[in-house]
Amino acid sequence: MSFREKSFREKSAWITLITLVLLLAFYLTHLPPPWWLRAETGGFLFHVLTLGMIAFVVIELIAHGIVVLRAPRDARAPRDEREHLIALKARSIAGRVYAILSLGSVLLVIHLGANDGGILYCLFLSFVVSQIVNYAARVVYYGRGA
Amino acid sequence: MSTAITNTIRKLRFERNEMTQQDLAERVGVTRQTINAIELGKYSPSLEVAFRIAVALGVRLEEVFSYGASQTPSESTR
Repeated sequence: MSFREKSFREKSAWITLITLVLLLAFYLTHLPPPWWLRAETGGFLFHVLTLGMIAFVVIELIAHGIVVLRAPRDARAPRDEREHLIALKARSIAGRVYAILSLGSVLLVIHLGANDGGILYCLFLSFVVSQIVNYAARVVYYGRGA
Repeated sequence: MSTAITNTIRKLRFERNEMTQQDLAERVGVTRQTINAIELGKYSPSLEVAFRIAVALGVRLEEVFSYGASQTPSESTR
């Protein structure tokens, strides 16, 4: 099935997945290790994070806008039972990933002597990774049928 | 990922003036992609959606869906 033939929500999942991966890659390339120990780099990272989030919102708006303009009827259609099921299953997996990653990474950086900023970054990065897993799972489930 | 439930939706669609997947999807209230996934055996619809498909095609439920080539779950465990 080509991208054009996919449902609006499947296209949306692809867009969000790619955008999140790009955002994470952009953020990590500006993150000199061991960032969890360096309170003085907080300002720089906040600046990078803000830019990344603005870019994320802009890319999402533009990409979704294009998809909606090309297939407005698909975009207006309510979510059906299969799409509900896919979203539920993907969120369930993402929730577990977030729980494991956030707890594991926070314990690890505390062990390594992190400050509060480092712990916050662990939680934030865990959230971003869990959302990547969420949308990747949706893409897989859509490809498999449900 | 295939299910044990098979269907004749595609055949029945073509017998009804070559009804498209989109037409059927609109009558049933699901997306075209969901109808496609059902036809390919990748997704088993809920009972309500299955009944809606049968009503939209103007046939009984058993004429649209069958389980494991007429094998019932109780027979499969003997």
